[in-house]
Amino acid sequence: MPRPRAFGRVWRLSAAMIAVAWSVFPIVLVVLSSFRPQRDIFRIPPSLIFSPSLDNYARLFRDWPAFLPDMLNSVIVTAGATLMTVGFATIAGYAYARHAGRWLNLSAFFMVVVRMIPPIVVTLPLFPLVSFLRLNDTHIVLVLLYSAFFVSLATWIMRAFIAAVPRELEEAARVDGAHLGHIFRHVIVPLVANGMLAAGLFVAVYAWNEFVFALVFTTRNARTAPLVMSEMLSTTDGVDWGVLFAAATIQLAPVLACVLAAQRYVIAGLTAGAVKG
Amino acid sequence: MRAAPRGKLSGVATPVALLTPAQLLLLAVILLPSIYVGWMSFQRATFGAEPVFIGFANWQALLADRVFWRAAKNTFMVVLAVVYGELALGLALAVLMAGWMPMKKTFIALLIAPYAINEVSAVAMWRYVLEPDIGMVSWALIQLGIGQLDWSADPTDALALAAILGIWTHTPFTFLILYAALQGVPAELQEAARVDGAGAWSVFRHVTLPFILPALLVAVMFRTITAMRIFSEVWLLTEGGPARMTEVLAVYLYRAAFRYHDFGLASATALSMVVLSLLIAAPYLLAAWRRMAAHA
Repeated sequence: MPRPRAFGRVWRLSAAMIAVAWSVFPIVLVVLSSFRPQRDIFRIPPSLIFSPSLDNYARLFRDWPAFLPDMLNSVIVTAGATLMTVGFATIAGYAYARHAGRWLNLSAFFMVVVRMIPPIVVTLPLFPLVSFLRLNDTHIVLVLLYSAFFVSLATWIMRAFIAAVPRELEEAARVDGAHLGHIFRHVIVPLVANGMLAAGLFVAVYAWNEFVFALVFTTRNARTAPLVMSEMLSTTDGVDWGVLFAAATIQLAPVLACVLAAQRYVIAGLTAGAVKG
Repeated sequence: MRAAPRGKLSGVATPVALLTPAQLLLLAVILLPSIYVGWMSFQRATFGAEPVFIGFANWQALLADRVFWRAAKNTFMVVLAVVYGELALGLALAVLMAGWMPMKKTFIALLIAPYAINEVSAVAMWRYVLEPDIGMVSWALIQLGIGQLDWSADPTDALALAAILGIWTHTPFTFLILYAALQGVPAELQEAARVDGAGAWSVFRHVTLPFILPALLVAVMFRTITAMRIFSEVWLLTEGGPARMTEVLAVYLYRAAFRYHDFGLASATALSMVVLSLLIAAPYLLAAWRRMAAHA
């Protein structure tokens, strides 16, 4: 791409700035406002200069003692779902990358089809079943649900990455007498670690932020952070915006950092998983 | 099945063993429940009671319910706004970022930031600036004489805000798919067209666009299907109110099941959502099937 003339450069940069403002402004505003004293939150025009205070955070931990345990639930569920999905997807992706056949094709097609089913649909039969099994409000239900809805995308990502690993490397190890478990650990996994990161990132972001399943299947013990935040948002006696912003800041900081740092994995995963379906 | 190169037994047993965990999970959590939903749509089913077969009564009730049709219409409008809004914005951003741009990595990272934000935070952020009379954007709009978005009272405004939220959260997906597709357009092709005297628009229309069209169609298909599931934005803004005016299909389903305990009616809604999704995805699925069969 040739470097455009001065007018073109100014035009392009301004357009990019406006786009960035649109995508980042709400986030910056909420993070900044979480350090604003309560009385200044709706001040108009908004003051750019204010003395930052941790008052909102103090109120968050005082008025919502469940917030930290709920964050911990989010960590547990996200870790569980990510490990399960990436584990299942890596071995399944290997099968699709290295074997072919009619039944394999059929099962691969099935994996693409289930991705079209809206997640909320399965709450209807699973809600009574989960209650019957006394699994209501447990981490395992969310882990299974989140894994199920991302294992097929993750498998697709892993298939693409594993297919790029030369077969000769495996054959060499096989000749040396290594069996499949050994080949996975020492040949495949080190070479497709990037793919596992990409697949893991998608599941982790989904599990960390998911709302509908958490709303249906958890009440207290396994309640995740987005759910307690929704309760802060829908209190009848007026939203305490400062507290909500403090919670939002804590919840979004780790995931935003991951996404920003891993942008090339997001791109790699999307192209492998969606477009090359 | 093709002859496996390494021994008869491991040739078949290995892939089956490797696929079992993932396939079992899909079967147990998605496929069987989805089929069961189809069966439930012909039952009178409520929580804690034996289901009773009632034929098409749920379907009749659903199709006769004006609230359902309003939810369907609302969903249709929101999906239309979200998908095409995102496509326009995502395509513009992709073209912008694929060309000359300093600090490209940083810009792209900032553009995909909304992907990391959960729906509750997103609703909180936009509600905060658009809170009637006191939000800063509402205030600015009033000062400019445009008038504010009256989302808490006016159903159309509420759905418009839900659509804005959808576009804001999901544009990164559309943008990245199109950006990745643009990376694959051969520069020589564009250069050749330019040498032949084609203008920027003409190069885009006749060289770039045909090249990225498959990716563009996939993005539109995926987003149509996922936008149809919209729930959180509407639920957290209005819970479907006032007077069920702003319900979308997923909210209608949720309310039927978990507020009115009518699992039969909810199942009929769910099944119609599944069928609609599969119909929209049919061309994509057909192409995927052909490609897989070709590789067998």
